[in-house]
Amino acid sequence: MSDFEPILTRNWNVPDGDTLKVYESRGGYQASRKALTTMDPDAVVGVVKDSELRGRGGAGFPCGLKWTFLPKDRKETLLCVNGDESEPATFNNRLLMEKDPHQFIEGILIACYATRASTAYVYLRFEYIKAYRILERAVAEARAAGHLGKNIYGSGFNLEIWLHRGAGAYICGEETGLIESLEGKRGWPRIKPPFPAIEGAFRKPTVVNNIETLACVPHILERGAAWFKSIGTPKSYGPKLYCVSGHVNKQVCVELPLGVTARELIDVHAGGVWKGRKAKAAVPGGISMGLLSAAELDVKLDFEDIRKTGCLGLGTAAVTVLDDQTSIVDYLYNTSRFFAHESCGQCTPCREGTSWMYKTMKRIKSGGGRLEDLDILQNMSNNLGIMPGTTICGLADGAAWPFKNALAKFRPEIEEYIRTHQDPSRRITPLQAAIASGVSADVAVRHSLTVLGSAPAPAALHSADGGNRP
Amino acid sequence: MATITINGDAYTLPEGEKLNAIQAAKLCGVEIPYYCWHPALSVVANCRMCEIEVGAKDPATGEIKMVPKLVPGCQTLAKDGVVIVTDSAKVQEHQRMIMEYLLLNHPLDCPVCDQAGECGLQDYSYHFGQATHRFVEERTVNPRKDVSDAIQLNQDRCIMCTRCVRFTREITHTGELHVMNRGNHAEIDVFPGVPVDNPLAGNVVDLCPVGALLDKDFLHTQRVWFLSKHESICTRCATGCNVSAEENRGSLWRFKPRHNPHVNDYWICDEGRASYKEANNPALLASMYVKKAGTPEPVAVDQAVAATERGLKDVVARGGAVAGVLSPFLTVEEAYLMARYLKSLSPQAVLALGPVPVSGGDQTFAPDKTTGRTGDTSFVVPRPFTIRGEKCPNRIGVSEVLAHFEGEVIGWESLLARVQKGEFAALYVASDALDPAFDEVAAGAIRPRVGFLVVQDTHATPLAQVADVVLAGATFAEKAGSYVNADRRLQYAEAALPPRDGSLPDLDLFAILLARGAGPVRSREVLAEVAEAIPAFGVARGGVVPPFGVVIATTPREGADAGGAAVGGPAVAESGSRFSDPWTTVWRDHGGRKRI
Repeated sequence: MSDFEPILTRNWNVPDGDTLKVYESRGGYQASRKALTTMDPDAVVGVVKDSELRGRGGAGFPCGLKWTFLPKDRKETLLCVNGDESEPATFNNRLLMEKDPHQFIEGILIACYATRASTAYVYLRFEYIKAYRILERAVAEARAAGHLGKNIYGSGFNLEIWLHRGAGAYICGEETGLIESLEGKRGWPRIKPPFPAIEGAFRKPTVVNNIETLACVPHILERGAAWFKSIGTPKSYGPKLYCVSGHVNKQVCVELPLGVTARELIDVHAGGVWKGRKAKAAVPGGISMGLLSAAELDVKLDFEDIRKTGCLGLGTAAVTVLDDQTSIVDYLYNTSRFFAHESCGQCTPCREGTSWMYKTMKRIKSGGGRLEDLDILQNMSNNLGIMPGTTICGLADGAAWPFKNALAKFRPEIEEYIRTHQDPSRRITPLQAAIASGVSADVAVRHSLTVLGSAPAPAALHSADGGNRP
Repeated sequence: MATITINGDAYTLPEGEKLNAIQAAKLCGVEIPYYCWHPALSVVANCRMCEIEVGAKDPATGEIKMVPKLVPGCQTLAKDGVVIVTDSAKVQEHQRMIMEYLLLNHPLDCPVCDQAGECGLQDYSYHFGQATHRFVEERTVNPRKDVSDAIQLNQDRCIMCTRCVRFTREITHTGELHVMNRGNHAEIDVFPGVPVDNPLAGNVVDLCPVGALLDKDFLHTQRVWFLSKHESICTRCATGCNVSAEENRGSLWRFKPRHNPHVNDYWICDEGRASYKEANNPALLASMYVKKAGTPEPVAVDQAVAATERGLKDVVARGGAVAGVLSPFLTVEEAYLMARYLKSLSPQAVLALGPVPVSGGDQTFAPDKTTGRTGDTSFVVPRPFTIRGEKCPNRIGVSEVLAHFEGEVIGWESLLARVQKGEFAALYVASDALDPAFDEVAAGAIRPRVGFLVVQDTHATPLAQVADVVLAGATFAEKAGSYVNADRRLQYAEAALPPRDGSLPDLDLFAILLARGAGPVRSREVLAEVAEAIPAFGVARGGVVPPFGVVIATTPREGADAGGAAVGGPAVAESGSRFSDPWTTVWRDHGGRKRI
């Protein structure tokens, strides 16, 4: 690993690395100049396609291929940059924007030239106010220096970049949710087709790319596709920013070739698990991707190998480490609370399923669990998401995968928890069970009175807030 | 011609329309359940109820390749070679799951819910759901609220299909409704101080597949299964919206729109929706009157008719002139019989069109494929909806009858002028609706100039109060007949209520006056006569009017070339089936009585 030369992060520790002067002095805006003045847009697409650059946002869709989906006879193209980095524990895009904004702007410039887009919207996570200010300054700098605006480098190509701050929703990181939100609507993902490349923002052909993906583009142009493919593992080429957080000694964001193992990340780059403990599990790439058990930490974190462990994918490559004193029930409680809170409420399975999962986990955690709850959770997680085809977007997959993986890899521990954590006041009442199973209510009431006698008052079936507002 | 396979059987679809799997399957007799889809609204596929297995058949090898995951049927184009499976274990399991999810936080208060009996959740629970569920947690109970003075929203019953939201955005372009909050706390709501206030607002209640959006006017008045539905036409303006007039115990309780792509699409306006109340008006004439010694006295029907006949024949016998006023609220059949009666009394009788009420201009809602739309709009066929300023149902139909008998259409104003000159010894005014034109001023102007005045109406208008004979006619709900709307479309309306005590439907009154013979007169038979007698109505030959109505021919006017090229378009009887959500009708496989 020692021979790996950081590319995306090379300006991070340079003084004033976020200024145009320093960026240009270190070879910045050469790739864009080369592309705009010497290359045909289609040739740029060709180079990126040849590099097999895969989207860094989570799904790993080939970037060059995405650009070719735009209709040939389009009049206007828009580029939306997805800076709504909202996956828990992920912070590489924030650093990319704050520490080297011009690399990102150069990436936008080349991508826009390649896709013939003269307008780019940068959709920024609401909380990233610092990145917003830095980018605002950087865009002004770039415009003043002629990297943006009209007739850039005399090539006749025009580009304007608009910064847009989101309103604080996880779902706005989904590309069509982002587009809706950008249009000023509620961030509800759209049904596809039509895909954004055909009909996206403001009903115009739109490319949506992640910040890290675009940050790779200038380097591919500068050094060539072959160079890019020399880094990483088969089908997963190039450098990648890995974030490590959770129970480690040093939470870091580190640039490495794709395909580094989780164990190396934890032990070498993050200084090992904290307090001298062992890792029990690790989230491979944002909580929606699932869970690696301790035995699976040697898997390569790239787009392909990670799936062999049953995880959803690489995601944002944000590894969160759980030490051996962390309860998997707590992990599931937290993830389910997150997804119940962030489900946009559009598709029935996700809207109802995520909150059901959360309520069940809340009950299990507080001591009212039943072993059969795990079967219900398993069944729900199998049927949620775009993978089985029951929702519009992938949020529900993300909600389901932690359960799928945890139940496959840690079920004995959860069962043990349920057996040992029983609080009679939290148990479901016979009345609740009877209502669910369809027994007529009067029988149920009699039943509950005789059986329970002095049992605590059953928790209200109806309460103003449903008792679950996260 | 597209051939598709549904559950293993091959079907051929008709040419032309772009159909999704739900529509195509329905044509083939297969039900795919859905909630959020509506043919006039863009496809958002958020209820996930219509999910099916979809594949494609290779035309060369016949090999079927299925998509591995479930696909929403509302977005699946029924094109040639598509293979649809709606009854596999996978699909059924999914439908059970969706029903379970939808009912998790639903209050299940069907006994007190107005939607019960025409509820998507109820119907689909029986067909696709299950009697039990696995949910033992606390329910989320979203609040109930008002979204306008006329509409209540019971958010706890809502399934977030967003049909109502899309309606206000895509059809009326007013956008009052929106979704707020997230997850299962998501609610439909209005912005503070901005209620759902547009002329089509009531349609959101019809669109709601569950009991969330409720019409306060109908709230807790009737259980819907007691209502008999009658295919009627709204008489409130010249658009002639197709409505279902719903009756129980001798009263109308509500109007619901019926789909007609050529007239009102899927909607009705709020003014039309409220107009059913006129049929229940306690002030409707409950008896006929004949003036005796200067005072109108209630008399039996036969005495009033006899008095009318006697009075008119006296006038004619004394050589006096007779004039008839045919209100644009009359049906074509009534106008025809009235004209025939007066012309049979005296060929010189003058027939004129009654006052045509006009209020403001036309108001058109013109949805298109983009404005306000989200999601997939490729299946949407936007059609405009117009509320006419002309507030009567049949000006054109009555005018055609008048033109046939009179050669021209004499307007109310010019007739009134002639009345005031004392030209007529007898005047027969048929009105049938609260017409503000027959006020005290008109009564004062007409009465002294006319020897014998007959008023046929539903209300004791100022003019009726001074008439020699008052004939109590039928309201729109009490009579059957046809109307010609502003687009010259002839449509047939059924009667929804029996005649009130003391009244007779206008058609019967004219039939008795004409001495048409024994037995009640049937509007279809009269329409068949009209079709024979008046070329413009030739399209209704045999008294048959197609379900969506038919455009009548244009009569060449006086002065125009008699051989007239100005004949309306070909009288094609438009086909196509009338759309209705399955939960609003009785399921045919229940073997139950069919409501519509």
